[in-house]
Amino acid sequence: MFELLGAGLANVVQLKYLVPLVLGTLVGVIGGALPGVTITMTIIIVLPFTFGLDPLQGLSAMVGVYVGGSAGGLITACLLGLPGTPSAVATTFDGFPMARKGQPGRALWLGIWSSFFGGLIGGIFLIATTGPLATFALAFGPWEFFSLFVLALSMVAGLVEASLLKGLLAGMLGLVVTVIGNDPVMGSERLTFGIGFLSGGIEFLPVLIGVFAFAQIMGDVEKMRGARKAAEAVSATASLAVSHLEVLAEIVKRPILLLWSSVIGVWIGVLPAIGGSAANMMAYDQAKKFSRRPDEFGSGIPEGIIASESANNANVGGSLVTIMAFGIPGDAVTAVMLGALTIHGIQSGPLFISQQATLAYGIFAAYLLAHVIMVIVMALSARWALRMVSVPKAILFPLVLVLCVVGAYALNNTMANVYVLLAFGVLGYAMVKVGLPLAPFILGVILGDQIEINLVRAIMSDSNPWLFVTRPISGLLLAASVASVVFALWQHRRAARRKAARQKVGEADF
Amino acid sequence: MGRDGFTGLAVLAASLVLLWGTLGLERHPMVPVGPAFYPQIVLGITALMALALVVADVVLHRRGRDAAPRAERPRYGLVVLAFAVFGAYVVALPFVGFRIATFAFVAAMQAALDPPKDARGWLRVGVVALVTAGAVYVVFERYLHVLLPRGLWTGF
Repeated sequence: MFELLGAGLANVVQLKYLVPLVLGTLVGVIGGALPGVTITMTIIIVLPFTFGLDPLQGLSAMVGVYVGGSAGGLITACLLGLPGTPSAVATTFDGFPMARKGQPGRALWLGIWSSFFGGLIGGIFLIATTGPLATFALAFGPWEFFSLFVLALSMVAGLVEASLLKGLLAGMLGLVVTVIGNDPVMGSERLTFGIGFLSGGIEFLPVLIGVFAFAQIMGDVEKMRGARKAAEAVSATASLAVSHLEVLAEIVKRPILLLWSSVIGVWIGVLPAIGGSAANMMAYDQAKKFSRRPDEFGSGIPEGIIASESANNANVGGSLVTIMAFGIPGDAVTAVMLGALTIHGIQSGPLFISQQATLAYGIFAAYLLAHVIMVIVMALSARWALRMVSVPKAILFPLVLVLCVVGAYALNNTMANVYVLLAFGVLGYAMVKVGLPLAPFILGVILGDQIEINLVRAIMSDSNPWLFVTRPISGLLLAASVASVVFALWQHRRAARRKAARQKVGEADF
Repeated sequence: MGRDGFTGLAVLAASLVLLWGTLGLERHPMVPVGPAFYPQIVLGITALMALALVVADVVLHRRGRDAAPRAERPRYGLVVLAFAVFGAYVVALPFVGFRIATFAFVAAMQAALDPPKDARGWLRVGVVALVTAGAVYVVFERYLHVLLPRGLWTGF
C-alpha cells in the first residue's frame, strides 16, 4: 500500500498533474469563498475542462476543487460573516465574532489549519479503508449489490431534511428516469414515445448538471434585489498576519476535539448524499455539548472553528471512500467525479482499486497533496478571494450556464444532452419549489440501472426471491434499509413533536 | 388541497401514463423477466407514494397547517425570463453556432438580471459577452480540443 502511495505521490508531483491539481484547488477556494456558489456548482463548472485531460489529470483537478472548496468557505465565513458554502455555516458562529474582536488572522488560520488536519485524518481513513472495503465488496453477488443500492437510496431519502415520504418519492422519481430508454439487460426499447434520442436512455451527467445548477442559480435569481454589501464586515485593511506556531498549538492542544470532529466528518461523508453541510453543524453541536464552556460558543472561541472546519474537510475523505470502494457517490460532488470516470471509460466499484491501482493511488496522493496546496493557496489568496465576492451575479450566472452547456454538449457532441440539461433544469427548480429533495433524486438516477441489472441478474441466477432476505449480507443490508426508514420516521416525528411543544410554550408566554 | 397534494397528483398522473406505456412491452424468451418487469415495480411504487402524498396533504389540510412566516416575495417573473433566455439560447445554438449564440445569450442574460442604466452599463454587458464567448471558445476548442456546437446557418 505504501509503495503504491509513494508511486502515486511521485506521479502527482509531475507538472502535468500538479498544474491541474493547483488550478483545481485555487478554483475550489474561490468557488468555496463565493457565497451562493456551492462546491457542487464549482465542480460542475470544472467538469468540461477535464474532458480533454487524461483521467488522473481530470480527477486531480476535481479533488483539488473538492478540498479547496471545502476549506474556501471559511474565508468569507470568518471575515464577512457570510458562509461561502453550506459546509462553513458553523464556522461563522465563532469565526466572525473572533475576527470582529480584532483577530481576523487568528480566526482565518485556525480554520485553515483545522481544515488541513481534518482533511489529513480523513485521508488516513480513505487510504486505510478503501482497499479492505472494496475487497469485502468483491464477495458480493447481485443480491448483495441490489440490497446495498436499496440501502443507499433509503438512507438518503431518510436523512434529507424534507419529509421521509418526499425523500422516498424523489428517490423513486430518479429511478423512473432510468427506466426510459433501452433496458440494460436485453436492450429492448421502452417508454421512449418515439423520441429518437431517448432510445439510448438519459445520460446522468446532464441530468445532474441541470438539476443542481438551475436549482441553485434560479433560486438565487428569484432573490436578486441588486447588489448588497455585507454588513459589519472586517475592515479590508485589517492585518491577517498571525503566529502560526501559536495557532497550531491552539489546535494540537485540543486533540480529542480535532479527532472527534474529524471522525464525525468522515462518518457523515461515508453516509450517502449528506455532505459537509451536515458535518460542520453536527461537529459544532457535539463540540458544544462536550465542552466545559458551552455558553461561550458563538462568542469567538477557537473550539467552534476547529470543530466545524476539521469536520468539513474530513468529510471529503469519507465521501471518496464510498465512491472508490462501492461506486456509490457520497454526495453531488462525487457524483460528478463518477461521471468524469465514466466519460473516460473507467468503471468505479469494488474492482476499481485493483484494476486501476495507479489511478486510485494517484487520487489518494492528489487528495493528500491538495491539502498542502490548499494551505499555500489560502495563504496567498485569502484577501484576493474576498474581492471575488463582489463579482456581480448577473455576470457570474450566464458564465456558469454557458459552462453547463459546454459540459452537457461535449459528453457526446450532441445537442440532445443540452435539451436534457434544460428539461431537467426546469424539473430541478420545480422540485425545489415543491419541496422534493434533489439528493435522493440524483442518487436514484445514478443507481437506477445498477439496481435493475442486479435485480434481473439475481432472478436469472435463481428465481427464489427469498434469497434477497436469506443470504446473510443481503438480508442484513435490507434490514438496515428498513431500520433507516423506521429511524427517519421516528426522527421526523420527534422533530414535529418538539416543534409543537415549542409553539405551545411560545403561545403560553405571550 | 395544498402544494404537496398537487405535486402528488402530477406525479401520480405521470407514473400511471408511463405504467400504461409498459403494458405493450414484449417479453424476451431468453430472460425470465421482460423489459416491463422492473419499470412496472418502480412506477407502481412511485404511484403509491404519490397517492400517499396526496392523502397526507388532504389529512394535514383538514387539521389545519402552520402558517409560514412571510418572506420577501420571490421574483418569479425574473426566473421565467431567465429560463426563457436560456431556452432561446438552446434553440439558437444549432442554427447560429456557439460563438454568436453565446455572445447573445450572455448579453441578454446580463441585461435581464441587472438591466444597464446607461451607455457604460451596456458597454460592460457587450464586453463581458464578447470576452466570455471568445475565451470559452479559445480555451475549449483550441487548447482542450473539445468541440463546440456549429451553426447550420453560419457554418461555424
